[in-house]
Amino acid sequence: MIGVLKSMATTMKHALDGNTFTVEYPDVEPEVSPRFRGVHKFSQERCIWCRQCENVCPNDTIQIVTDDMRNGEQYNLHIGQCVYCRLCEEVCPVDAILLTQNFEFLGDTKDDLVYNKEQLMNVPWYKDIDPLESREPDRSAWIGEGEGEVDYQ
Amino acid sequence: MSADEELVETTVGSDLDADGIAALLGEAVLDREEHLNAPGFVIRPDAVQEVLTKLRDEAGFDHLSCVTAQQYTDRYESIYHLTSYDDRQREVSVVVPTDPERPVSQSAEPVFRTADWHEREAYDLVGIEYEGHPDLRRILLPQTWQGHPLSLEYHQDKPQIVTLDAHKNPLEADHRGNSETMFLNIGPHHPATHGVLHLKAVLDGEQVADVEPDIGYLHRCEEQMCQAGTYRHQIMPYPDRWDYISAGLLNEWAYARAAEDLADLEVPEYAQVIRTMSAELCRIASHLLAMGTFALDVNGDFTAAFMYAITDRERVQDILEDLTGQRMMFNYFRLGGVAWDLPEPREEFFGKIRDFLDHLPGAAEEYHNLITRNEVFQLRCVDTGYLSPEVAKSYGCTGAVARASGIDYDLRRDDPYGYYDELDWEVITEDGCDNYARLLVRMREVEQSARIIEQCVDLLEDWPEDDREIQSNVPRTLKPDEDAEIYRAVEGAKGELGIYIRSDGTDKPARFKIRSPCFSNLQALPAIAEGEYIPDLIAALGSLDIVLGEVDR
Amino acid sequence: MTPTFTPLQNDAVLLPERLVDLLGLGEFGVAGEVVAAFLGAFLVANLMMAMTGVAGPWAKRKITAAFTDRIAVNRVGPFGLLIIVADAVRLLSKELIIPDGVDRPAWDLAPILIASTALLGFAVIPMGSGIHLADPEVGLVFVFAVASMTSVGLVMAGYASNNKYSFLGGMRAVAQNLAYEIPLIVVAVSVVIFAGTLQMSEIVAAQAEPLLVIAGVTIPAWYAFVNPFAFVLFVAANMMEIGRNPFDTPEAPTEIVAGYQTEYSSVYFVLVFLGEFLHIFLGGAIIATLFLGGPAGPVLPGIVWFLIKIWAVFLFTQWLRSALPRFRIDQLIEVGWKGLLVLSFANLILTAIIVGVIA
Repeated sequence: MIGVLKSMATTMKHALDGNTFTVEYPDVEPEVSPRFRGVHKFSQERCIWCRQCENVCPNDTIQIVTDDMRNGEQYNLHIGQCVYCRLCEEVCPVDAILLTQNFEFLGDTKDDLVYNKEQLMNVPWYKDIDPLESREPDRSAWIGEGEGEVDYQ
Repeated sequence: MSADEELVETTVGSDLDADGIAALLGEAVLDREEHLNAPGFVIRPDAVQEVLTKLRDEAGFDHLSCVTAQQYTDRYESIYHLTSYDDRQREVSVVVPTDPERPVSQSAEPVFRTADWHEREAYDLVGIEYEGHPDLRRILLPQTWQGHPLSLEYHQDKPQIVTLDAHKNPLEADHRGNSETMFLNIGPHHPATHGVLHLKAVLDGEQVADVEPDIGYLHRCEEQMCQAGTYRHQIMPYPDRWDYISAGLLNEWAYARAAEDLADLEVPEYAQVIRTMSAELCRIASHLLAMGTFALDVNGDFTAAFMYAITDRERVQDILEDLTGQRMMFNYFRLGGVAWDLPEPREEFFGKIRDFLDHLPGAAEEYHNLITRNEVFQLRCVDTGYLSPEVAKSYGCTGAVARASGIDYDLRRDDPYGYYDELDWEVITEDGCDNYARLLVRMREVEQSARIIEQCVDLLEDWPEDDREIQSNVPRTLKPDEDAEIYRAVEGAKGELGIYIRSDGTDKPARFKIRSPCFSNLQALPAIAEGEYIPDLIAALGSLDIVLGEVDR
Repeated sequence: MTPTFTPLQNDAVLLPERLVDLLGLGEFGVAGEVVAAFLGAFLVANLMMAMTGVAGPWAKRKITAAFTDRIAVNRVGPFGLLIIVADAVRLLSKELIIPDGVDRPAWDLAPILIASTALLGFAVIPMGSGIHLADPEVGLVFVFAVASMTSVGLVMAGYASNNKYSFLGGMRAVAQNLAYEIPLIVVAVSVVIFAGTLQMSEIVAAQAEPLLVIAGVTIPAWYAFVNPFAFVLFVAANMMEIGRNPFDTPEAPTEIVAGYQTEYSSVYFVLVFLGEFLHIFLGGAIIATLFLGGPAGPVLPGIVWFLIKIWAVFLFTQWLRSALPRFRIDQLIEVGWKGLLVLSFANLILTAIIVGVIA
């Protein structure tokens, strides 16, 4: 009987202390870590079309199309297929691909989730956090892309 | 530990070396092989039971950890990975080659009960038939499947055309007859099956007369996907998805350990400490969820214990997110180390871990008040779901399930890896053998994990700044020696999580086999639950703490 | 004594009587009384159903959330209160799925029976402020009779659903019913011994007398104070009757999916759901009437006190739900037959001796 009463006391204590743990998500944006891996962002002017990301991707999420001179033409990423392993970012020698903190995206059909390089470029930062800061490489090429305007120089 | 050593000494035949074993097995041995983890003995396919019985009774190999089946161009092969509960570092592989035209070998099921499901899986995926197996059916794939997906002749693109007749309702065999019992499908969609598990239960009133787990609903070809990925990068994201309930890093470690030993890679000490710390965080998260869902099974779906456990697990996940960048699918380990150093500012990160560790004893007290000390809960769980140590060993149970049956077996201590042998912690065992003991072991293990984490944090705080090497120098393309074979296991969240890899000299494994602890543990469910009431069956299932992602792979 | 004409109700304190006076229905004789009775029943039933409406979709979620450190419904309306409307629309607009092979009339009748028997019990409960539909001399027997009729509904639902989980739930409901009903009534009999009557209004009146006066505060002779032992027993047996933790075995969602209500959807589900909550409130009303002085209480009007008391019982059920494991069915039956029954008879004998000696 003591144990039963102790159980009841435990839950009542939680009820009375008034603390809640729930995040009111759409109203309050949850905190994410600087290292959090969300939707990709791609910088065309950095990319050297080496195809390492395409090769390392465990499940063919990235598709690169180049012309016969190995100049890049298309960079497509099927975000619905991505497992957010960050290997593409890790192997990229020039930091041309970056996983932002942004985890909010939607599409009505599977096809909507295939992002081309313009869409990938315009992926917004989450809460204006630029994850490159936590990943420490040179970040000059990324400045100004958060608003979707690309500085092609 | 001295008690253990005594035990080892008294075990029959435990001093046998490879030659001794060869002498013991005599003419059954056709050939000798050398696997990286153990000596291998190629034996006659009709001598499997004889050999395994000898090894079990006369050489002390009482744990059939795993059965790996594979096809070479000239033969099929079943490998029985044997080890000992008393001394995990004694291993032996029994290799059974079979004729490519007629792949039949003797079943090991009469010797080790655990071979039942393992051989069914081998039959299902590779196509080896086991003579004398009591029930050789497909286990992961539908009964109507055509071909064996991991065999060399399997034609992947061939459509699976199955006649309507083959698909006829399996329930058509009417259970309404004049029987005294009632057939009940528990699952695949049921509130207490923890995923898509189907239990075929035969009830005698409220009591379970017979129960048979039907698995495979979550089979995602994980082994084949790993065989299609490169060692260096592409395999590592997948282990997170085996036991996906927060145990990701423990699974990653299983692969990392096997692959590192296979390719002979060094791991820097600093990375080992980080690995140890983060893996134990995963264990805490996993055990908390196990406890919470068990409370859900016993208390009902409005219990507060579940939400409290989830809340605390959330705290662990926040820490892991800071460290690895993801909450569940970490992909944090790399061959030869880890992906990232601790996040900056380090003090803040350490502070966060310490806050959690300080919070934990109070939370544990609350859990004990809410769950284990509750008399009604004790009434429900003590002496229900009994699993005797002998049965547990025969079924190859490991992890908390084995330790709750008094089997003192923990790979972190018995087959040390990482930084565990440098730290001060204990292996938890309970002698209750019941649902209650299994829960208690997990709850007490959380405390031990907290101890380990605390020591790791102490070490990491004082680690010299110029010696923080997180990855050793690993070649970008990893090609282990041809025909190297290894079976290595770690203590996963649910038990012994083993990986067998055979290399064929390319940058992808030729055979990648996962020994899932849940697979073996779940197999013991009929032995635990028969004769119990339905609520105890549910509680026993909860206390086994299975994750269907790992059972089905 | 010469036989005289007995009106349907002979006491002016009852609600139908008041309605007759208020609406001037007296001139229509018995017909007027019948109309007034219907009107009164309509009011009381609606009050109770409105309460379950608040309790089911909203209060229960909020209470459970408080116990588990969550926020719960807060998206629709102030404090999420409009979830009641949203949920009602959602549930009622769902498709009514009728499984193959259900035993039709029984399957259809069961939800109605479950909901209506619980409602029927409120007919004899004095709720204060003049809200009391009927006051037969056997009021207490009536209320237990209709409350336990719910079990018939549960068995019907379980058996007619043609589902093994439902069947198990129905069987468990019967077993549980047998285990709790006898102790429940035996404990209630001890109250009857105190009060000397089965009439609900008399039982309430008997509790209005002062028990003690401590520092100027009069403690009324509520039977919960007079005989706390019986009170605890009654609450335990009542938890079994309303089927809530730790005695929610007939539903036991993690074991037998949802027991007898597994196959019900849409409107039928609403009825079953309604019946369950009405049953909790009826249980609360019986506890309040027998042990907590009915609608008695200072300052506030009787009906408010009455509602406070039954909501307190509701809160208590949710509290237990958050904290306690459920018994296994065999253990529950043991608790009923070996524990509660013995204790309740002990209580009865003790009460009889005390009352006999003192009075």
